[in-house]
Amino acid sequence: MVSVTTFAIMHLAPGGPSVLADPKLSEAERAAIIDRLGLDAPLPVQFTRWITRAAQGDLGTSFLYAAPTARTIADRIPNTLVLAGAALLLACALGVPAGIVAGAAPGGTLDRWAMRVSVAGIAVPVFWLGIMLILLFAVRLPWFPAGGITADVDGGGLMDRVRHLILPASTLALATTSELFRYARATVRDGRDATWWRVARARGVPRRRLVWRHAARHALVTLCSVLSVQLPRLVGGAAITETVFSWPGMGRLGVEAALARDYPLVMGVTLVVSLAVVLAGVLTDLGQLAADPRLRRA
Amino acid sequence: MTRWLRHLSLGTLVALASCDTAPAGVAGTLRLPIINDPIFNPVIAPDLGSVMVNKVIFSALVRPDTALQPTPDLATSWEVAPDGLTWTFHLRPGVRWHDGAPFTSRDVKFTFDQILDLASGTRLRSDFAAVDGVDIVDSLTVRFRLGAPFAPLLTLLGYNAGILPEHLLRGQRLSDATTFNRTTPIGTGPFRLAQVTPGATVVLERNPHWYGAPPGLDRLIFKVVPDINAQVAQLRAGELDLITIEPANLGSVQHQDGITIRQVPVVQHWYVGFNTMSHLFSAPAVRRAMAFAVNREAIVAGVLKGYADLPTGTIPVALREYHDSTLHPIPFAPDSAQALLAQAGWHRDADGKLRNAAGRDFAFDLLVDKGNPTREQAALAVQQDLERIGMTVRLRTMEFAALVRDRVLPGNYEAILIWWTTPPDPDQYAFYASDQDNNHVRWRNRTADSLLLAGRRTSDPTARREIYRAFQRVERDDPPVLVLFYPREIQAATTRLRGLPALGIRDALRHSEVLSLGPGS
Repeated sequence: MVSVTTFAIMHLAPGGPSVLADPKLSEAERAAIIDRLGLDAPLPVQFTRWITRAAQGDLGTSFLYAAPTARTIADRIPNTLVLAGAALLLACALGVPAGIVAGAAPGGTLDRWAMRVSVAGIAVPVFWLGIMLILLFAVRLPWFPAGGITADVDGGGLMDRVRHLILPASTLALATTSELFRYARATVRDGRDATWWRVARARGVPRRRLVWRHAARHALVTLCSVLSVQLPRLVGGAAITETVFSWPGMGRLGVEAALARDYPLVMGVTLVVSLAVVLAGVLTDLGQLAADPRLRRA
Repeated sequence: MTRWLRHLSLGTLVALASCDTAPAGVAGTLRLPIINDPIFNPVIAPDLGSVMVNKVIFSALVRPDTALQPTPDLATSWEVAPDGLTWTFHLRPGVRWHDGAPFTSRDVKFTFDQILDLASGTRLRSDFAAVDGVDIVDSLTVRFRLGAPFAPLLTLLGYNAGILPEHLLRGQRLSDATTFNRTTPIGTGPFRLAQVTPGATVVLERNPHWYGAPPGLDRLIFKVVPDINAQVAQLRAGELDLITIEPANLGSVQHQDGITIRQVPVVQHWYVGFNTMSHLFSAPAVRRAMAFAVNREAIVAGVLKGYADLPTGTIPVALREYHDSTLHPIPFAPDSAQALLAQAGWHRDADGKLRNAAGRDFAFDLLVDKGNPTREQAALAVQQDLERIGMTVRLRTMEFAALVRDRVLPGNYEAILIWWTTPPDPDQYAFYASDQDNNHVRWRNRTADSLLLAGRRTSDPTARREIYRAFQRVERDDPPVLVLFYPREIQAATTRLRGLPALGIRDALRHSEVLSLGPGS
C-alpha cells in the first residue's frame, strides 16, 4: 500500500526526473534517456516492473547516482543508524531522568525550568539550531567539526568519529529529548495521584525508591510507545540535520531523491523507512513486555 | 548521581575538545564542496559537481586558457582541412592512464563513438551533432569527420568532453559501468582517485605520472556539502577552502579573517524569455520597449550587490574576443518604452493600464523557479518595472524540473526568467536560430539565422568576430530575449589559495595542477 501510494504521488507530481530537466538536452537525447529509464511505459506497467524486481531483491538503478538503488541505500544505512542511535541514546539519557525528576516534584524550580527548555526544544527549528551549533562550536570555538562523518582523509579512528557525531546527534536529539521529557514527566506526575503511590507512601516506601523504581517503571511502558513513533522519525526524518551537517545518511538521500524525482531511489528509501516502522512496532511490544510484567500474563 | 553525571560530561567534553584537529592542517590539501556524489564519467555525468570532479580526473584533447581560447592538452596540435570537414589531431606521446596503460588514439575514437551513440546514455551528443565519426590514422593521430564545417568544435572538445579509457570500458554500456562510474574511475588528469566515501568525500591524490608540470597540491578533496549555508559555515571553520556563493551569502563571508572574495565573469546570460508565439510578444518593438522599461542597474546593484555586468545582448563579456564592447548597455528609458509601445498599438488607459485597440490588457504570467533568492528577487524587480509602464505581470514560482518539463519544453508559457550557461564559444545557433531544439522562446529572424550559421561554419577568428558583432547589432533591433545581466561568479576562498585562474570554477578546474596553498595572509 505504501509503495503504491508513494509511486503514485511521485509520478503524478508536476515536473519529472531532474536528469530530464536540462533545457539544453536535444529532443533525441531526451527521448533516449526516457527510453533507457523506461519512463515511456504506462504507470501500471512501470509499477508492475518495479514490484516484480523488488520482490527479487532488485530495487532498480538510481537515476541520480547511476548505481543500484539497493547499494546506494546500503551505503547510507549505517551512517543513519549511528546518528539516530546516538541521538536516541542522548535523548533517553537526558529526557527520561529529567522527566522523572520533574514529574516527581511538579511545580518545583527544576520542573519549571525543564518545562521551559522542553518547550524551546520542540519549538526551535532544527535547521536554525544546527547552524547555530556550528557557528558556536565549530567556527567561534573550534571544538568540533562543522560537518562530515570523519576526517577528510583516512578517518581518524573512533574518537574522530565521535567528535563528528556530537553536534549532529545533539541537534537531532533535542526534539526527541523534549518529547521524552514531557511524557516521562506527565506519567510520573499522574502516578503521584494513583492509589498505588498513596498505598506505597503509607507503607513507608522511601520516596527515592518510589520514584526511581516504581514510577520510573510505570513511565517506561508509556515511553516505549513514544519511542515507537520516534524511531522511524529518527531513521527517515533526519534529513534536515543530515543536510546541515553534511551527514551522508538516509534522510538526506531521501530528500535528494525526492527533489530529483529519482523514482527508484524514492521507492527504495520509502521501503526501508516502512520496514523501520514495522521494526519499531515489534521492538515496542518487546520493550513493553519487558517493562510491565502484567502484559506478559495477559 | 547528578554530580557524577556532571563530572562525566565535563570530562568527556574537555577530552574531545583537546583532540587534535589534524585534518584541517594537512599540507597541500585543497577542499571544495559539491552537492551530491559525483558520477565519474564525463560523457554521462549530468550535474555540476560531477563535471567539476571529472575535469580534474579526465583530461580532454584541448583545454581553455585563461582567455577561454582552446590550447593543447591531450592533443598537441591539430589541422583543419580547407573545406572545414576534416580535423586531424596529433596526440601527446607518452601519456599513461592512471592504471599505467598507454593512452592512444583508440581511446579518443572509443570516447566519441560513445558520445555519438544515444544508447550509451550520453548527454554530450548534441554538442557534437556535426561530427559524423572519428577515424584512427595511427596510434597517436585521429581524424574527425564532420558533416558540415563546425567552428565551435575545438571549444567543445575542451569543455566537458573528457577522454575515457577504452581498455576498461569496451563492451559495456557507459550508464551500466557502475564500478567505474562510482568507485574506480581511471583518467589521464593531474589527479587520480584515492578514496571515495559515499555521500561524504572524494579524495584525489596527485598523479605522479602526469604529463604536465607537477601539480602544486598533494590532494584535492571534494566534500559533499549539499547546503550553501553549511558550505559557508565550513569555509569559516576552515574545513573548506573554496566555495562559490550567491550575493545573498556575501554578508556571512565578507571581512572574515583568512577569507578572500573574488569575482570572475562567467559565460552566462540571465534573461526574461518571452514566448514570441504569443500575440503579446511577437512584435520586436514590444520586446525592445520592455528592454528599455527594466532598470538593470538597479537589479545589478540591489539584487546582485554589484557582482554582475550590464548586458548589451546575449553574448556575455566573459567571451572577450566576441563580446562587442563598443555597444553601450541597454539603457533604462521608460519614456522610450512608452513611445515604442504606442507605435505597436498599446496605449495607457485612465487607470494607467496598457490596452490595445481591441481593449485587451497587456497582462501575462512571469514564471521563475523557486528557491533561488537571486532569481526570485530579480523577477520581482522586473515585475515592478513593467507594471510601472502599465503592464500587468503575475509572478508565478515553480519547482525547476516542473518549470522545464511542463512549461518551457512544450512552449506553455508567456514569459520566464531563466538563464543559459554556454560553452566558452560565441556560437548560439542552438539557442537562437529558428526551429532549433533549444530555441525555447521560438524567436525567428532570418538575418540572425544566416549570421549564426555563418558563425559556426567559419573557423577564422577575425571573420567570426565580425559575424558575432553583426549578430549583436541584430539583437538590438529585434531582441530575442530581455537580457538582465551577465553574472559574475563570486568565489569565497581561503587567503592561502594560490594560482586559481580568473575563470569560473568549472573552467578553472581544468587547470588544477597550478593550484597550491601558501601561508595565510
